[in-house]
Amino acid sequence: MNPRFIGYFAWYYGFFVIKRGPSYLVASLSLPLTLLFMVGILSHGNLISFALIGGLVSIIASNCINGAADAAFFRLQIKIQDLFVATKITPGDYMMGLIMSYLVFSIPGIVLYAILGLYWHVFTIGSVLPIILILIAVTISISNIAFIIAGSMKHIRNVWGITAVLSIVMTVLPPVFYPYTFLPKIALYVLSASPVTPAAVLLQGYVGLEQLNYTTNLMVLILFAETVILTILGRQFIKWRE
Amino acid sequence: MIEITDLHKKYSRNFVALKGLNLLLDNRVSTIIGRNGAGKTTLLRILSTQLYPTKGTAIIEGYDIIKETRKVRSIISSIPQEAQPIGILSPMEQIKLYLIARGFTAQQAGKEARFALDELDMDEFRNSPSDTLSGGMKRKMFVAMALASNSDVIFLDEPTTGLDPLSRMEVWSAIKRLKSKIILTTHYMDEAQELSDFVAVMDQGDVISRGTIKEILKAFDGKMRAERIDGETYDIKVGNIAVKYIDKSKVDEFLRMGYDIKQVNLNDVFLTRGMNLES
Ligand SMILES: Nc1ncnc2c1ncn2[C@@H]1O[C@H](COP(=O)(O)OP(=O)(O)OP(=O)(O)O)[C@@H](O)[C@H]1O
Ligand SMILES: [Mg+2]
Repeated sequence: MNPRFIGYFAWYYGFFVIKRGPSYLVASLSLPLTLLFMVGILSHGNLISFALIGGLVSIIASNCINGAADAAFFRLQIKIQDLFVATKITPGDYMMGLIMSYLVFSIPGIVLYAILGLYWHVFTIGSVLPIILILIAVTISISNIAFIIAGSMKHIRNVWGITAVLSIVMTVLPPVFYPYTFLPKIALYVLSASPVTPAAVLLQGYVGLEQLNYTTNLMVLILFAETVILTILGRQFIKWRE
Repeated sequence: MIEITDLHKKYSRNFVALKGLNLLLDNRVSTIIGRNGAGKTTLLRILSTQLYPTKGTAIIEGYDIIKETRKVRSIISSIPQEAQPIGILSPMEQIKLYLIARGFTAQQAGKEARFALDELDMDEFRNSPSDTLSGGMKRKMFVAMALASNSDVIFLDEPTTGLDPLSRMEVWSAIKRLKSKIILTTHYMDEAQELSDFVAVMDQGDVISRGTIKEILKAFDGKMRAERIDGETYDIKVGNIAVKYIDKSKVDEFLRMGYDIKQVNLNDVFLTRGMNLES
């Protein structure tokens, strides 16, 4: 572990992207905010809390999955990965640096949603710790999906298409903007292939929008298992030395 | 010292990029030259632990690139041929980040980065986002990065491609000042001549000639290169340029025939590959 490298990388590549290219930030917030608005209107305000708590996951997950394009660009196009291979950092440091940079990049969105959530009284004191843990699991697991995509690309051109599709499938389709109980059981389990689904189910449970029950317990297991497995796979796919 | 033994690299079932290369690099500055696709980058990437060889290995300052990867990585710096900067970061930030990855403290990293940029006359652009730099400036930033690292061994894959003459001289001067061992590749023969204590000539995945420039050019002792478009006498034709290697005594004769006469240099090693010059 090289915390100094991870810290600098996250700061430079997370914060400076916001500072020097603010349009990316606006782009990353536009979809969840639009959906929040639509869900609010269509449900006459009834489902606002769901769209709020879900938007939080959605923002982080889409920033992380879009990281696939960054990681592929770094490896294939500008050879930054090659540059860092021959230094003292490990692939774990590099991956951690990227993950933290996605998190830093997500901070404005997180803050915005936290404010909205407080305004609509979505959060409870007891839910803060579980929310943080769930969001960390989402960050790690989805970033590793990004590394798997980036590492299996032979050419940069496909990465934009793949991440665009995955971004929708993983961050809009799962029950992030509506109660998971609306979903048929079978659909819920299919969608659980994306860590965003168990995360959304858990969040709805922990903030008290839905019951904590057998399904939520199962989702804890699924989210934990997916995070571990994806991290192991991500490390295999990052292609440090080719 | 870098000791390369029986190094093979197979990119696919029917394409071999390195064919059992053996080479000893033990000078301050060693240069690898060779035509496009000769395998220079492949060799440098293997030595910098970015790529696994298919067979064979190399020992860098006593450490095996396969078995002692971590040790090797702690003493080398390597600038990829196609490296491009992260556009939103300034040269200062990128070099700092690189040096931090090399184990420098943030303060040391900042100091060394600044010094290296200054040495290559890039002080003015220190804090500009790299997006706004010219192509040559971007390249110079990477050279500055390697020089600032002060690593024991530095690999530079075409460090001066795209640099203006003055910038190239700045890079040369910086390379000469360093104490590190430097392995570089170049397509500029004057650069090889200016910097190298040792030259290895690569062709089709193997080293075809090695030594000091004088040793490599030994086959051309006493010869000059005569060339003329559509000339009738030649050893070799490049496009429609006839090239003939002549004894110095025949210079006048060829001048009368309309040939240009040139000093032999490293380019001629490629031109005459597989030829017999005795005549
Ligand atoms: N990743 C790769 N996959 C397949 N073939 C490759 C790969 N990288 C290089 N090659 C092939 O290996 C050969 C050697 O390439 P290399 O890049 O080492 O040449 P080079 O001497 O550095 O050339 P240049 O002077 O153009 O930089 C070339 O024929 C190239 O097409
Ligand atoms: Mg090359």
